[in-house]
Amino acid sequence: MSAAPQFEPKIVAYVCNWCTYLGADLAGTARLEYPPNVRIIRLPCTGRIDFNLIIKALEVGADGVLVSGCHPGDCHYTAGNYHARRRWILFRELLDTLGIDLRRIEFAWISAAEGRKWQQVVTEFTEQTRKLGPYKELYATGAFPDVPAPETASPGAKSFAAESELREVCHKLLSEGTVKVVIGYGARGPVVVTRPEDADRLVWNNRCFSNLTAYLKRKEIKALGKAAVIVKPCDEKSLVELEKEAQFERKDAHVIGMACEGVGQPKCAHCTARTPRFVDVTLGVAAGPEPQSSPSPNRLAALMAMPPVERMAFWSDEFNRCVKCYACRQVCPMCYCERCIVDKNRPMSIDPAPSTKGNFAWHIARAFHLAGRCVGCGECSRACPAGIDLALLNISLHIAAQKNFGYEAGMDPKAEPVIGSYTLHDTEAFIR
Amino acid sequence: MSEIISQSALRALAAEWIAGGKSVAGPARVKPDLVLYRVLRSGDDLLLEGFQRPSNSIKDFLFPKAEKLYGYKIRGNSIELIENDSPEPAQVIIAARPCDAAALPILDHVFNWDFHDEFYNRRRAATTVVTLACSAHDENCFCTSVGLDPGSDRGSDAILFALGNGQYEVRCATEKGHALFDGKTEKSERTGKAITGPEKRFDAQAVRAFVTTHFEDPFWNEHALTCIGCGTCAFSCPACHCFDIVDAGSAAGNARVKTWDSCQFSTFTAHASGHNPRPAQPARQRQRILHKFAIYPEKFGEILCTGCGNCTRNCPVGLGVLSVATEINHG
Repeated sequence: MSAAPQFEPKIVAYVCNWCTYLGADLAGTARLEYPPNVRIIRLPCTGRIDFNLIIKALEVGADGVLVSGCHPGDCHYTAGNYHARRRWILFRELLDTLGIDLRRIEFAWISAAEGRKWQQVVTEFTEQTRKLGPYKELYATGAFPDVPAPETASPGAKSFAAESELREVCHKLLSEGTVKVVIGYGARGPVVVTRPEDADRLVWNNRCFSNLTAYLKRKEIKALGKAAVIVKPCDEKSLVELEKEAQFERKDAHVIGMACEGVGQPKCAHCTARTPRFVDVTLGVAAGPEPQSSPSPNRLAALMAMPPVERMAFWSDEFNRCVKCYACRQVCPMCYCERCIVDKNRPMSIDPAPSTKGNFAWHIARAFHLAGRCVGCGECSRACPAGIDLALLNISLHIAAQKNFGYEAGMDPKAEPVIGSYTLHDTEAFIR
Repeated sequence: MSEIISQSALRALAAEWIAGGKSVAGPARVKPDLVLYRVLRSGDDLLLEGFQRPSNSIKDFLFPKAEKLYGYKIRGNSIELIENDSPEPAQVIIAARPCDAAALPILDHVFNWDFHDEFYNRRRAATTVVTLACSAHDENCFCTSVGLDPGSDRGSDAILFALGNGQYEVRCATEKGHALFDGKTEKSERTGKAITGPEKRFDAQAVRAFVTTHFEDPFWNEHALTCIGCGTCAFSCPACHCFDIVDAGSAAGNARVKTWDSCQFSTFTAHASGHNPRPAQPARQRQRILHKFAIYPEKFGEILCTGCGNCTRNCPVGLGVLSVATEINHG
């Protein structure tokens, strides 16, 4: 009679070339024994560990992922590990929202001298993973409780009082030659107006959903000359971030801010700005004083109240409807890359097919590339033809950036962006 | 004399098909404001009223968003191919809209013209389409502008007409339709009628005349500049059929997959050299209208559009065939 073979976990370890790799080497030369379950992948620096690699390891069958590099202050490249730490803090929040079991991913600082710590971390993590068993819940479907759907905008257009003033202002801007083009709202959706007499096509009503700042990046619009763009106070936040990222200069556009009466979208329920702050001209009257805080939506609370397996089942169900039309990317003012990672095929890091794996990979990449940058305009959710509540992922990262780094995208033009900066004191309770 | 079936009998019939191993797809409510054609788990999932039309189309079940063509494994210098020739299970699409069903003959032309697409044809042969004639239309419907109407049975194997009180008249158009409904219906004197269509919203011939003669025209810059370049229009269109072939999986091998593609993507016409013959959205919007109203009709004699209005309904920025075609007509 033979016993059933014991489950042997597969562990992928992404380690930094200068510290942990040498630590593991030292463990070897010092004859320190540790479980052979770990497959080491050496990278130049923890700052170079793309978050996609962590997901990829789980996808190809790892039961656990270990990420390890130099102790704070010890980075061979001065600050790679500080940048990595920030990214992990936020990335863990995203993984948690998606329902990926955080016990499967371990972070550690192990120096070249710490052969014994390597032995200890690998041994303990292997044991912990062995107890958890094979990781079968990645992208698994299943039952989950109802998550409230975002509120929808009420049908029918209701014009706001500032509409006629807006037309006059735009007519003047175009006829005096201050701008060559006005990016505004028309009866069916966004319009680009170049002739003064067409300023009458502009509308300002409760159907003005789009975040028009997304058009400023388009070369065919830039080619028309200096633009005036109409922004709601929530859309204006993207200009703050775009300016920080050197994608936009105030002098290149005339910004017309609309004091907002609300367009009734889910985003209005969490409004933090009703009056434009940095615009060239403000029109209209705001619906009320500036809201002091934005409560997180009840649908996020409902999601986070579920155990991880159910959260994963929720997202599997949502993402299975994704057709990869990339409307979420195209409407986003912060998605301005000339060539998106998903369109790159040498190497191809994201499965281009709208399969379970390909859809998860895409939505993880999209959400995380917007970490700390998303201004919460909610356009991604509105644009999705499959009704996927994509903004939930961005909101969870937004809250994480606020909680951990006191950063709120689009609010303070002077605040340093979350990703790309660091402090010596970023929280790291989860790093061994 | 007519054949009728009650709503409850129809649901029971759908349940029977499911129990018999058929895959049954039809409209289902996914979220409070979202109805999609989906594979139904039970007859009760089927949504028959209270919405205009699903946001997607029935092409999903014949030309899926991702179809595995074959698998492969790479070992050293050798490649092992794994054919995907398993037969498709029989499927029934129930309560399709006439504008969805009418797209199937359009797809048939494309997938059998110079190349016989075995994947599409295999699914097509295994599929029976039961259409439900429309009882309403909204401001984005324009079937009558492209030569269809709300009671058209083009592409359908059977068509249902609501009689009120939860009764439907069943008219079978093909052998496949009869195979589903013979013996399942009751005789009646009542006959159904679809609503009269939406008023004609544009003249398709005039659109064709315009696009074929205004290739370089300020119109495209004026009316299509706001296109954001997503694939929502093409992917929710019952008749759009462009696809890409990608390798999905690791370098060691996994599968070659046929996926939907859209002429609105900047990568659609990007050359390896970096040159792009359609450099910006206005040219891509022109292509979509040109293909639907001139290129396809020249080749196959009909318009590549059934007037379902999905592209306009789903467009995040209010474009789509209806918006552009009406601008052409009135502009």
